[in-house]
Amino acid sequence: MNQSLIYEKVKSGLRITREEGLLLLQKEELLDLGEMANEIRYRKNPEQQVTFVIDTNPNYTNICNVDCVFCAFYRHAGDSGEYTYTVDQMIQNFKRAAANGVTTVLLQGGVNPAIPFEYYLEMIERTKKEVPEIHPHFYSTTEIIGISEVSGLSIQEVLKKLWDAGLRTIPGGGAEVLSDRVRKKMGHKKGTAEDWLDVMRQAHKIGFKTTATMMYGHLENDDEIIDHFERIRALQDEYHGFTAFIPWSFKPGNTPLEKIIPNFAPPMRYLQIIALARIYLDNFDHIQASWFSEGKKIGQVALHFGADDFGGTLLEENVHAEANFVNKTTVEEVIQLIQDSGFTPVQRTTLYEKIKTYEFVQAV
Amino acid sequence: MPIYFRDKYLPPIWQKLQLGERLSLEDGLILFKTNDLISLGKMAHYVQQQKSGDAVYFVLNQKIEHTNVCVLSCKFCDFAKKKGEPDAYEMTTDEILSKITPEIKEVHITGGMPHDWRWERYIDIVRSIHNKFPDADVKAYTAVEIDFFHKKFKLPIEEILRQLQAAGLRTMPGGGAEIFTERVRKLLFPQKIGAKGYLEVHKTAHKLGIPTNCTMLYGHIETIEERLIHMVKLREAQDETGGFLSFIPLAFQPGDTGIKPKNQFTSAIDDLKTIAVSRLMLDNIPHIKAYWVMLTEEVASVALNFGADDIDGTVGQERIAHDAGAISPMKLAKDKIIKMISEAGKIPVERDAFYNPLNVYSENVIGKIPYLNSVPFYHNLEKSATGGFKILPVAPRRMGMLSKEGQIDAGLFSLMDYFDQEENLELLDWCIATRDQVKSVMLFSKEGWTGLNGKKIGITDDTATSVHLLKVILEKKYNVRTEFVRLHPGVNDYASFDAVLLIGDDALKYNKVGLNGFELVFDLAKEWYDWQKLPFVFAVWACKNSLSDIRKEKLKDMISAALNKSEDEYGEIGNMQGRQIGLNLSETKEYLEGFNYRLGERERETMSMFRKLVNEINIKV
Ligand code: SF4
Ligand code: SF4
Repeated sequence: MNQSLIYEKVKSGLRITREEGLLLLQKEELLDLGEMANEIRYRKNPEQQVTFVIDTNPNYTNICNVDCVFCAFYRHAGDSGEYTYTVDQMIQNFKRAAANGVTTVLLQGGVNPAIPFEYYLEMIERTKKEVPEIHPHFYSTTEIIGISEVSGLSIQEVLKKLWDAGLRTIPGGGAEVLSDRVRKKMGHKKGTAEDWLDVMRQAHKIGFKTTATMMYGHLENDDEIIDHFERIRALQDEYHGFTAFIPWSFKPGNTPLEKIIPNFAPPMRYLQIIALARIYLDNFDHIQASWFSEGKKIGQVALHFGADDFGGTLLEENVHAEANFVNKTTVEEVIQLIQDSGFTPVQRTTLYEKIKTYEFVQAV
Repeated sequence: MPIYFRDKYLPPIWQKLQLGERLSLEDGLILFKTNDLISLGKMAHYVQQQKSGDAVYFVLNQKIEHTNVCVLSCKFCDFAKKKGEPDAYEMTTDEILSKITPEIKEVHITGGMPHDWRWERYIDIVRSIHNKFPDADVKAYTAVEIDFFHKKFKLPIEEILRQLQAAGLRTMPGGGAEIFTERVRKLLFPQKIGAKGYLEVHKTAHKLGIPTNCTMLYGHIETIEERLIHMVKLREAQDETGGFLSFIPLAFQPGDTGIKPKNQFTSAIDDLKTIAVSRLMLDNIPHIKAYWVMLTEEVASVALNFGADDIDGTVGQERIAHDAGAISPMKLAKDKIIKMISEAGKIPVERDAFYNPLNVYSENVIGKIPYLNSVPFYHNLEKSATGGFKILPVAPRRMGMLSKEGQIDAGLFSLMDYFDQEENLELLDWCIATRDQVKSVMLFSKEGWTGLNGKKIGITDDTATSVHLLKVILEKKYNVRTEFVRLHPGVNDYASFDAVLLIGDDALKYNKVGLNGFELVFDLAKEWYDWQKLPFVFAVWACKNSLSDIRKEKLKDMISAALNKSEDEYGEIGNMQGRQIGLNLSETKEYLEGFNYRLGERERETMSMFRKLVNEINIKV
């Protein structure tokens, strides 16, 4: 098995195997990996364009009973700094966002058993009705599992009701690394790898579109990263329900894991993961790089390593901020960052429909 | 892996690079404008590997800014203060010395230019540091400062530099180049010296044997053409003197300088392109530096795959960049730098100010002699999967030193180094030996052999074997006694010697074009052959005894395969390096065919004969 044979495979549109993926992750030179990734990126999306979405990431509660060791965001009921907003408060929040041009609200929160299922449904219905400019992109798999436990309904029933309330897309957070060994070590009390996949599978079956994510750079090994790719690729073959794959590195600040993992995974790792994802996930339409999670500069570089989307503008973000990782931008800046990287910026919806194409500016 | 270009304008440039041809300004424009960042990076990485293998250099350095008081007011500078302003400072020599710690290997001194300092004070800084910390190379004063001294103290530039050199100055920093066009100079720093003044100071330094570094400040109001003009001017100056060690592109930091470029910070793509294009344009400058303090650690580490082979160092007090808002933390510990380099898949090599490797922080390192005559081994060794070995180019004498400290696992050892370390090394079946003459160990002389009695010979710093060979020939063959003086690394004024011994590519080059003032040229291998009727063996392959058997086998397979593959294509594989010395394809081919690369009976006979003769003489340099 050697790298140029793998490249030939990639060029002729063949799928690579786990072993080949592992070899690429461990042995391939960075730029060769980028080159292979671009082969697929430009086959799927031949234009010299990069999409982005104007979105916001508010949270309705930070009370959570899952206690993930990598999470700096949650509080327990009664802790100082805990909060749960009413649907009214959230709708006001969304209205302000809409006034600022936001088209997508990615809404997530802790797993707070005090919140009834009706609250979740009402949030969707009222958003659709009262803030029609906004596309609701609500509730991670962890929350959905939580809702199912509290309400006594099956996952499928919960999803069906969310759909009927008007929800059409679900964020792909909570996947971390899809390995039960890692999840156990990280103290996930809720949800095995298969649970995450199962929520996604059922959602896709109903017709939801979702993203798939991966948070790496903690306790996982290379095999488990490939395993993660393998599992989401297999699921994607079933319903083609994933719109994009979004990786980011673990930010250890203010988490119990900080002592074991004091640093972020290096930028090289991010570029490798982006490129390898583009190569491995041949049935995904988009790979998302972000200015947010690895910094603006590395985000720009990632656009040349197979990513074709620059994520959201994230007008509001609390989770990384709690880990002392604060990165802010404006719509203008996102446009400029994309232009400076040598691409035409295109604003998109949550479902990757193009809304507005900006001009191409010769970089440098 | 080959390059699969997405930009159709790039392949002709790649063609040129593979032939060792120089790129034009127009080529540079194409490179800057391309959106095929990966292919640009791969080309630059290719050239980087030709020059530095897998090595990435860093230095344990300390920056001294002796004062921030400055008579000039450059627009982009938010470091300088006027005398009497609250945060203006001027350090005494003692204060400066107290900032330096013994592990520091390079002290980088630049500062403002106050109107009332005396010339002696500048000399004193250099002398005091040099005397108190002899292991630290003093790298002092930018061309702007030298020019200021020249005007203020009414001394010729050459005299200024001579006095500093005598006080202990070893190299010079590259600051103050900014952008070499009058348009930009007039707009941004009308008080600074400009291209002509800058290059004059540097060229004068080079002629005195002071190597220097050079820079370019980008990301403000300059155009891409202006960046390329800048690079071309540096390249031309380097053709004349060869004294630049490294080129450092500096990303402009707007901070509160009042200059408003389009962006708050240069884009990462621009940073990487600038690094890559400079690697490709500046074919005669050995090193390209990714200055992490300004680029951010993240971009600097990616840049190590885009043509940069140096990441600066542990700079202590990086005030100029810091005041203007550089993101990087002030002091990166050595470990952090080593980690950054290893993560990029490279060998962290601690260097001194001349880029001599001092410590190598990696396992499985093969030393590479960077001469044309060893290309038949290394060319295909580098291209084949290196089986977990990494390649470090290093002058033969340095390789001996590193190997002695256990920092190199295998390589082509200069014969004397092999003799020296025989107990710890296993001799392998390959060598660099002559057939008859060799043209790459040459004595350029004003006198015939016997006329050299009692005369002074300048000898290359690079290898002990050729020095011993010369001594053996002088004493045993011609019965002549001479004085040996070691040449500086870098640039030299040869005129004061009666003869100079040059090896490797230098020897080859001067053999072709002649060395001014030295009419007679002797080929030492030929002298040996005529005398002993034996080939001469310059270097032998050996590896650490302690290497595991599996690694040894792997190594032997690799060397053997690489050499077999090279044998049919000597001209082609040597062409790039040959051209840089001024040889055409057939000359390169002929030169390489003049060597025998397999260690046979006669070569072993030479080894014992030479060992015997060397033991009978006594060498002092
Ligand atoms: S990551 Fe989510 S589920 Fe885990 S503790 Fe934080 S809020 Fe709760
Ligand atoms: S850049 Fe140098 S010369 Fe110019 S004002 Fe600042 S310290 Fe003085």
